[in-house]
Amino acid sequence: MMNVKNLVKKYDGKTVVNSVSFEIPKGKVTSLIGPNGAGKSTVMGMISRLIARDAGIVMFEDQDISSWKSKELSKRLAILTQTNNIQMKLTVRELVTFGRFPYSAGHNTAEDEKIIDQALAYMELESIQDQFIDELSGGQRQRAYIAMVIAQDTEYVLLDEPTNSLDIYHASKMMKIVRRLCDELGKTVILVLHEINYAAFYSDYICAFVDGKIAKMGTVKEVITKENLAEIYNVDFEIMEIEGRPLSIYY
Amino acid sequence: MNQAAVRANRRKLVILAVIVLLCAAGYMFYAVNFGNSKLFHYSMKLRSPKLIVMLITAFAIAGASLVFQTIINNVIVTPCLLGMNALYSLIHTAVVFVAGSTSLLATNSNLAFVVDLVLMAVVATIIYGYLFEKTQHNVLYILLIGTVLTSFFSSIQTTMTRIMDPNEYDSLLETLVASFENVNAEVIVASLVVLAAVIFVLRKELALLDVISLGKEQAINLGVDYDRCIRRLLMGVTLCIAVATAMVGPISFLGLIMANLARQFLKTFRHKQLILASTLFGMAILIGGELIVERIYHYAVPISVFIGVFGGIYFLYLLLTNRRV
Repeated sequence: MMNVKNLVKKYDGKTVVNSVSFEIPKGKVTSLIGPNGAGKSTVMGMISRLIARDAGIVMFEDQDISSWKSKELSKRLAILTQTNNIQMKLTVRELVTFGRFPYSAGHNTAEDEKIIDQALAYMELESIQDQFIDELSGGQRQRAYIAMVIAQDTEYVLLDEPTNSLDIYHASKMMKIVRRLCDELGKTVILVLHEINYAAFYSDYICAFVDGKIAKMGTVKEVITKENLAEIYNVDFEIMEIEGRPLSIYY
Repeated sequence: MNQAAVRANRRKLVILAVIVLLCAAGYMFYAVNFGNSKLFHYSMKLRSPKLIVMLITAFAIAGASLVFQTIINNVIVTPCLLGMNALYSLIHTAVVFVAGSTSLLATNSNLAFVVDLVLMAVVATIIYGYLFEKTQHNVLYILLIGTVLTSFFSSIQTTMTRIMDPNEYDSLLETLVASFENVNAEVIVASLVVLAAVIFVLRKELALLDVISLGKEQAINLGVDYDRCIRRLLMGVTLCIAVATAMVGPISFLGLIMANLARQFLKTFRHKQLILASTLFGMAILIGGELIVERIYHYAVPISVFIGVFGGIYFLYLLLTNRRV
């Protein structure tokens, strides 16, 4: 269970996250949305211990996240950001192997190898498992990182803008993968997303940020309404219902 | 494929080791009078400390450069570009300036060595640790600051030497512009102790290097206590550089050449193999280079000139070909 209370972050005296409190529903997909600079990525950084917080509490499984042992936490919670530039010559399989590092510290057992094989198969990467990461396309690289997260075998998966710089085909494929992580593998997934419609179609809960505060939080149907979105983004919206989910139109 | 690549790299490492042995044998036994045991012993007595110093230096610089590149997550930086050599000269000068060249601090080379190391480790860790955090490991800032710091340290050092007693300066100069013709062989044991201690204290952090090379976010995600780890590794880098500088003086581009040759040669991320390969490259370059300098050029051109020229060209080549810099 993850419970956030009164989270605050300031950069140079400017408050970017202002007293944010929420609870992450377990076993569901939760998307953090909002305009640029609303603080959603900063919140993501703070709940994943990548960014130091200035005030507030992040309770993870009844213990504050800063009092967790880094290694133990890495078996429970995985975070994938967009700043992945590797200068090393690394193959897809070797990258996925790093996902087992919290468990085996570099000395993999047969069990670890099996999990790596499964992760590669799950992401359909077997045919390119010996290619170098820096020679892959953006979509393939993203899938390789997801495979690594799967190999890490954590209950919680945090993804910071997983569709960023992917084309429509790969982005929607990525969102289907997110859905499968939750439905098939039973993981709790937390996303930062820019595209409202991806958030509306593939997540269970939505948390909308404006100016460092939570403007709305609830199920997709509760949050994605004409009035709410107009308030959050300051743009006029039309909402259509497709497959029982609200599709937003803006221009 | 995975295992095959590891095995292929092992073979390459063996080849490198053989080359190093050949260089070492050539250096030790070239033009030696085997018939006369006195002359033979005399040659060995002259040459073996130099050889040992070269081996230690190669390892210290190779390890320091590779670890440093991994910390910064960039393959074109070397600790020397950050002014660590200049800092070393400054500290060394300051010790003589304050305590005097006839003091125990300056005359006992082992004590001087320890004082240098401690000061260097403390100052460098404070300055660079702080800067890395402040600039969020932005390579361009770090390089820029490094250049500024180099001239800053050199200026202070020059000022000290100008108001120093000329005789003091004379004895100081001997330790500042050392080369392999003038190695500081008295500190061999002390250096070995320091290097062994560094490796022992940092054994856990060194095992994390592969993960750290994935970048800060991924390292934290995989359970690395990042800030503490980086601070400790940086301390190790500083000590290694100090050891190498104390023994032979500044050889700026050697670390860069060695580390990148190793990366190009092995194409792997495994730091154990990379450090080993770059150490072997360093040994081959130093010993082979010294052999050429001593036997072909008859000491006319010091090896640092060769390293500077070829290192500079190689650095340009890396800058022009590395699109991710």
